[in-house]
Amino acid sequence: MDDEPIVRWYWIGDHLGYLGNLLADHAVIALVPVLIGLLLAVPLGLACARFPRLYQPLSAVFNIVYALPSLAVFVVLIPYTGLATQATVMFPLTFYALAVLLPTTVDGLRAVPDSVRQAATAMGYGPWHRLTAVELPAAVPYLIAGLRVAAVSSISLASVGALVGRGGLGYLFVDGFQRTFPTPIVAGITLIAVLALAVDLLLVAARRLLAPWAVREQGAGS
Amino acid sequence: MNWLNWLSDFFSDPDHRSGPDSILHRVSEHLTLSGEALLYAALLAVPLGLLIGYTGRGVNVVTALAGAARALPTLGLVTLAVLLAGVGDTAVLFPLVALAAPPLLVAAVEGVRGTDPDVRDAARGIGLTHSQVLLQVCLPSAAPTLLAGFRTATVQVIATATVAAYVGLGGLGRYVIDGLATRQYAVTVGGALLVVLLAVGAQLFFALLARFALPPGVRAQRRAR
Amino acid sequence: MIRFEGVGKRHPDGTVAVEGLDLEVPTGRITVLVGPSGCGKTTLLRMVNRMVEPTSGRVLLDDTDVAELEPAKLRRGIGYVIQQAGLFPHRKVIDNIATVPYLLGWDRKKARARAAELLELVGLAPETAKRYPFQLSGGQQQRVGVARALAADPPVLLMDEPFSAVDPVVRAGLQEELLRLQSELHKTVLFVTHDIEEAVRLGDQVVVLREHGRIAQLADPHTLLTSPADDGVAAFLGRDRGLRGLGLRPAKAVELRPVDDGLRYGGWELALDDERRPIGWIDRSAGTAELQPSAGYRPDSDTLRAALDAAVLSPAGVAVALDADGRAIGTASREAVLAALTPAGGGPVSVRKPDPADAMGTPAGADTVGTADGADVVGTADGADGGR
Repeated sequence: MDDEPIVRWYWIGDHLGYLGNLLADHAVIALVPVLIGLLLAVPLGLACARFPRLYQPLSAVFNIVYALPSLAVFVVLIPYTGLATQATVMFPLTFYALAVLLPTTVDGLRAVPDSVRQAATAMGYGPWHRLTAVELPAAVPYLIAGLRVAAVSSISLASVGALVGRGGLGYLFVDGFQRTFPTPIVAGITLIAVLALAVDLLLVAARRLLAPWAVREQGAGS
Repeated sequence: MNWLNWLSDFFSDPDHRSGPDSILHRVSEHLTLSGEALLYAALLAVPLGLLIGYTGRGVNVVTALAGAARALPTLGLVTLAVLLAGVGDTAVLFPLVALAAPPLLVAAVEGVRGTDPDVRDAARGIGLTHSQVLLQVCLPSAAPTLLAGFRTATVQVIATATVAAYVGLGGLGRYVIDGLATRQYAVTVGGALLVVLLAVGAQLFFALLARFALPPGVRAQRRAR
Repeated sequence: MIRFEGVGKRHPDGTVAVEGLDLEVPTGRITVLVGPSGCGKTTLLRMVNRMVEPTSGRVLLDDTDVAELEPAKLRRGIGYVIQQAGLFPHRKVIDNIATVPYLLGWDRKKARARAAELLELVGLAPETAKRYPFQLSGGQQQRVGVARALAADPPVLLMDEPFSAVDPVVRAGLQEELLRLQSELHKTVLFVTHDIEEAVRLGDQVVVLREHGRIAQLADPHTLLTSPADDGVAAFLGRDRGLRGLGLRPAKAVELRPVDDGLRYGGWELALDDERRPIGWIDRSAGTAELQPSAGYRPDSDTLRAALDAAVLSPAGVAVALDADGRAIGTASREAVLAALTPAGGGPVSVRKPDPADAMGTPAGADTVGTADGADVVGTADGADGGR
């Protein structure tokens, strides 16, 4: 170890194409689940806002889902989805994303001031129409804040998939560790951080575009 | 082979009943590692967060850093730390602390900043010093937020500590990794189940703590919101 | 016209918000519901657009029971303004105003043109159209709220404490604006407030409510101030109701001493410039040229209250009547102002008018049980204080 530098630049130079492929694979594995999570969270969130009794049990379930260790879930899924398949990693990641996005969606829908809700009703919006035309657009900043958390976590978590054979850039960690060669590990950490940062910036830009009226950052979960 | 068979195999294996690979031993290893990481993270993040929240300086920087820290892949940090520092608790503690510190830091900052400014003002007005205001006024009112932060951090650390086994350390991850390496799914699934139970147990513990250990005034206030 | 017929509201938990109320809200006039919090005024208002359903009785809108109309359709035909404006945060001002036209299926261009018209009508600059609600002051938001309520030109306007959340100066401006709009639009307005001052200022008729939506008095503002139905209403009106009543009477009634007849009152003389604008009062008896400020009022637009105020403020005890350009047209001594207050001075006769609503509003038993009287009055007065 003593004579091994943290980064051997030539290795990176020699493997640019390889790194690019891993990066693309990683982006798909990590971000498609977030998109699916969003597509599920919006209708579920609307239903929870319309029928508040639904929310308590759902949020309890997703609280537990969020507590499940990713590695354990990947492993448990292998008999069903197969070793080293995208599905093994993407399926749990979808649920993690949903666990983050459902509460933020519901919070956002609920954060609309009561006066706005009443004004809408008084102008002749029915309950569903009001939810989709008034409360949902007003919840966009919350949704985006939730997406930022979900996307960054997903990008970081996806690398654990390498332990079950499909982790995008996470493979670099396994590879580097097995060969006691830190360069791929450093490259992997860096690329994951860069991917997360890029996605985050993209979402910030999306918020500016979609919700220019949201002055302050709203509803990010810790 | 179905799940139940796996689990009964796992729990009836004599190796898992006593000795270094016993369930009790692995659980205690897991909890020790998680507890240590949380302790260091708390010692680092909570005072800093309280101070930043109270002065209001550097809040944006802290929030941005905490967000960025979420992007750091624990597996990457663990493997790198072991390659650089050798196998040992310290090598794994560092990534776990990096995992636990951001939610704690953000919770402390947000909690203190969430104190009603009028209450803070009044406390200053009746003659409390800054440190008294921070400890006697802001800290209790930040308690619910702080507790929520601890919950997030604990659950994440317990779940992620599993990864430590990959670089040769103990804990429940041993079952998961070893089972995977030897194609013994019974062992893997049993280990995974235990981690899930620990994490859910931690969730319940914090939910109960929030319900019964918070100052009554703060609890009521929280419900009102 | 809106008519409440034996309307009551009993909540599921058994508490009674409103009990057996009859009331007519005349077309094209402003009717103000005023009373302490908990008197059921907002409940009554919300029965009109079915945001609250009465548990007994019915509400008629132009002789149609609102219960027979589909709520969404009914509401699109009724303007509604609330305290917090309730503007949609994600829509620009122009699209906020056009909300109901969009709902009614107007095409975008027509709806926006209408919204732009309304923006001007409520006194907002055209560039406000492209702003978002958070970029507006409280008063501006409230104006947008009024414009939004008027967008589809509904004949009926419900206003629930619309000006309570803004500061007094802005509130006065908004009240004036509402009166100006009403003089152009002649809507049937039902207005809820807890502020008796606002009620008297805006209402063509004022309905004073007490607990459970019982009408304590229904009268025009002047009658209300000069002859409250009972001690409870008098306490709610406050101690200076006499003075406030002057605010409802035109200052024209004051007889003026023309400028040409002299400007001397005792030792004081009013100094005018070349344009006949007042400069101030000079104390001739003191022999100095020091000027004391003069106070004036406009006979054609001000009220008796302003005239009296000007007389009280002046060192000579004399109010200066001014024309639109600020030139003195005459003077009025305190005596002259006071003379205008009394019936002989030509002001409205302050004799209590018999009003059918009085009988309705008097609590049952108050006349018959003498000892209960005191307790009732105390209770009502407390309620009135709580409301403010």
